[in-house]
This record gives sequence, C-alpha cells and structure tokens, in this order.
Amino acid sequence: MSQSTFSSSVSAPRPGETTWLWLIKIVTGPLLLIVLLLHFIANHYLGSMSSGLMTYDDVIRYFQNPIIPAIEILFLITVVTHSLIGLRGILLDMNPSRPILKVVTWLLVILGVASIVYGIWLALTIASKGS
Amino acid sequence: MTDKWNITLRIYRQKENEAPHFDNFSMEVDPDEYVLDAVERAWAFHDRSICFRHACHHSTCGACGMRVNGTEKLSCITSIRDVTRDGATLKVEPLRNFPVVSDLAVDMGFFYRKMELAGARPVLPVPEAEIEHPPAEWDADDTQYIRLSDCIECGLCMSACPIMATTPEYLGPAPLAAAQDNGLKRKPELLSLVDAEDGVWRCHSVFECTAVCPSFVDPARRIMDLRKQVVGARLSKLFGKA
Amino acid sequence: MNTTRNQPSARKFWSWFIPIGRQVGGWAFALNRITALGLTLYLFLHLIVLGLLAQGPGAYDKFLVLTENPFIKLGEWLVVVAAILHGLNGIRIVLTSFGVGVVRQRQLFYGFMIVAVFAILIFTARMY
Repeated sequence: MSQSTFSSSVSAPRPGETTWLWLIKIVTGPLLLIVLLLHFIANHYLGSMSSGLMTYDDVIRYFQNPIIPAIEILFLITVVTHSLIGLRGILLDMNPSRPILKVVTWLLVILGVASIVYGIWLALTIASKGS
Repeated sequence: MTDKWNITLRIYRQKENEAPHFDNFSMEVDPDEYVLDAVERAWAFHDRSICFRHACHHSTCGACGMRVNGTEKLSCITSIRDVTRDGATLKVEPLRNFPVVSDLAVDMGFFYRKMELAGARPVLPVPEAEIEHPPAEWDADDTQYIRLSDCIECGLCMSACPIMATTPEYLGPAPLAAAQDNGLKRKPELLSLVDAEDGVWRCHSVFECTAVCPSFVDPARRIMDLRKQVVGARLSKLFGKA
Repeated sequence: MNTTRNQPSARKFWSWFIPIGRQVGGWAFALNRITALGLTLYLFLHLIVLGLLAQGPGAYDKFLVLTENPFIKLGEWLVVVAAILHGLNGIRIVLTSFGVGVVRQRQLFYGFMIVAVFAILIFTARMY
C-alpha cells in the first residue's frame, strides 16, 4: 500500500532523531528534579545566617568548594536541554512548516549553547572571585 | 410507567456557505432513551433538514459519534438521563477536528486514510486480539476463529485529543492504536511511520482518548506500549541486532 | 462544502490551556504546559540576573534589596509551586511512558497532586 495514494491530507512521515530527543527529555526531567532539590536546599539553608545564601559574599564563599560549580553546571546543562527540547515540542504540536521548524530549531540550539557557555563562564568567574 | 421529561435539544447547524448556529427544539422525551433517539425525533417531527449519521444504534458501527454537552460520546448508547435533567438543555455538536459536511455529519476521510496507513485490522484472529481472560495457551486451530477488533473507528478519540486540534499531521490515537495492535514485530515496516515527529512522539500523555473511547481500545495505553516497542527497535538497531 | 471550519489548526493552541469539558488528563496537560512555559521564562530571567554576581558585590546586593518587593516574593512562590506541579506531573509521565501505572493513571495523577499540595504547604510555611 503506497503512501502516495493517500497523500492529499496525510503527508509522508517526517522522521527525525525523535526517539533520542524524547529520551533525552524524559531522562533530563527526573535528573534535574534531583539536582534542583540539591540546588534549592543549598541556596536556602547554607550561608552565613543558615537561612540561605543571602549576600554576595555568601555566594562567593559557597562557590569555593569545587563540587558546587560542578553541580551548578550540571544543573544548567540539564535544565536548559530539557526546557528547550520541550519548547520545540510545543512548536511541533502546531504543525510548523519545514522551513520555520528548521529556523526555530537552530535558534533554540544557539540559545541553548549560548546559555550553557555563559553559565559555565559565570560559574567559573564567581568561583575565581574568592581568594 | 415511563418518565417523561421536557428538555430543550440544542443542535449545531451548519449548511454549505452559511454561518454555523444552534437550533433549539423543545421536546418531550423518555429519559431512558438515548441522545440519538432525541436527535432522530427532532429530525422526524421538527426539521427534516437536520443531517446526522447513524446506522446500527448499538455501538458497533461507530457512525453516531458527536459531542454531547461538550464531551465526545456515542449518541446511540448515551442515555438522556445521564447527560441532562428534566427542564434542562441538551447540547449536541459535531466532533472536533473533522471538517463539517452538514450539521452533525463530518468528513472522516483523513482519519480513515490514517487508519489504512497504520494497517488497521477490522477483523483479527482471536489469539491476536486482546481479550479479557484469554486461555493460558491457544490451540493452533484457534487462529481460524476471528473477532471484530475493538476499534470501531468512531473518531471520538481524534476529537478529544488536544494535539489533534492543532495539527492534522499527527497520526492520532486510533491510528497509533491500530499500529500497536499490528505490532512492530509483525509489521516492522510501520516503524518509520510511528517513530516520527507526527507519530508516537507527538503524544503528551493527556489520556483524553482513552477517557472517551466507547469500545475498550484504550488508545493511550497502546501508544505507551508502542513507544516501548519503538525504543526497543531503535536500541536493537543501534547495537546491531537488527 | 464549507470545510474550512472545525479543522485542526495551529490557531487553536489556546484550547490546550482551557480544558473545559475535558476530563482530568486534559487538566493535567494544561497544567503541565502552563508551568513549563512559566518555568522556562523564569529560567532565562534567573540566568540573566545571576550575571550581576559577576559585576561585584554592589550590583548583586543592590538587586537583592529589590527582591524584598512583595510582588517579587509572590513571583518566587509561584515559581516553586510551578516547579513542584511540573515535576510531579512529569514523574507521572515518565512512569506511564514506561508502562507503569497506565491503567490507574487517573489515581496516579490525583495521588501526585495530593503530594503536591502537601509539598506546597510545607514550602510556604518554611519560607514565609
């Protein structure tokens, strides 16, 4: 049964790396829940007054332990990936044309890479401010 | 003594080139009759131009799907008592996401084409059908016995799915359920159809399809199972087993 | 034949967020999508604001004063509520996607929402 017989309103399936993208989305979800919990507890329960990282100095001190920037960067990569794959999924639900989809996908990739690069730079900068 | 209720039947009307509107019909009904009976009575005694689809009147043909008070139902098995009260309104509209041909009758063409793409089997050998309480083991002879598949292609799931509302390219719950019923082991050629952006990955686990299905197909469960089959097939390919 | 009405269209995306007449799954979907968009917006604002840390103590501490504003506090509360709801709903989706809890997916959702209510109450009590 050839698909072209029914091509008027059912186009050929559009394959893509969709299995893998979806798997990444569904794995980053729970992963980021765990890292988020750590991030939240640390931010709101550590620090000079035990009520969280309340001042600039608190944050700098917190970042001196190398495991902290490592966790924060991991969190950043996980959450940016999950969020942008999700955004692209919402766009796909609206049946974009192929050219629009390509443009938006590229914009999301650029946004994602830029955010991650910026975030890594920021984490390392903050860590280096303590001496 | 049967009850008699007075209700207002509010029917969506749309004829070619006219703007859609609702027509109200005050009628006396027996609440234990069905919504389809009320629509038929409105057609027979009030307005012969009402257009609607119906055939078997016992939930086997899938023709009478419509939205009753906003929710997808098979009108032949939806009793009036379950959806309205004495003195109240009963609103009847066509299914969502299908082009309206006339009033309550919609064009199901693109849906049937998707069912064909998925290789939907209207009839299958009993050992391959998912039935309650199957025997521990089928005899080789049992394949000669055939059964109508649960899916009656009524389209209620296609109407209820929020993704179907925004993209006609999505295969949809019933076609994906039909693909799962075939199974990727039996029909590996379906893999490229369902492992696609408009295949299993467009589903967002809303489960509205299963909620409105009148025929125990449970399309959402089948889509989840089909996803497992797809991931399994892709992993096999990756590790060179295929 | 007037076939332009009642057809799937990207313009109907608003219907995702107004699940009137839908059953519990439709509401879960609306909730998940709204929280996803809200959290994404927050994510990028948060990243920008944290850039102030790189500008030194003055800029950051000045910003912290701004966050005492009650509207900001309400916004922060909403972000945590959104994260709790989206996270628990997400776990439901992970479970059902791997075949767990599919038959009882409604009860699963209700269960998670009860957990969410408790989590929100505990969080609110501890932070404010």
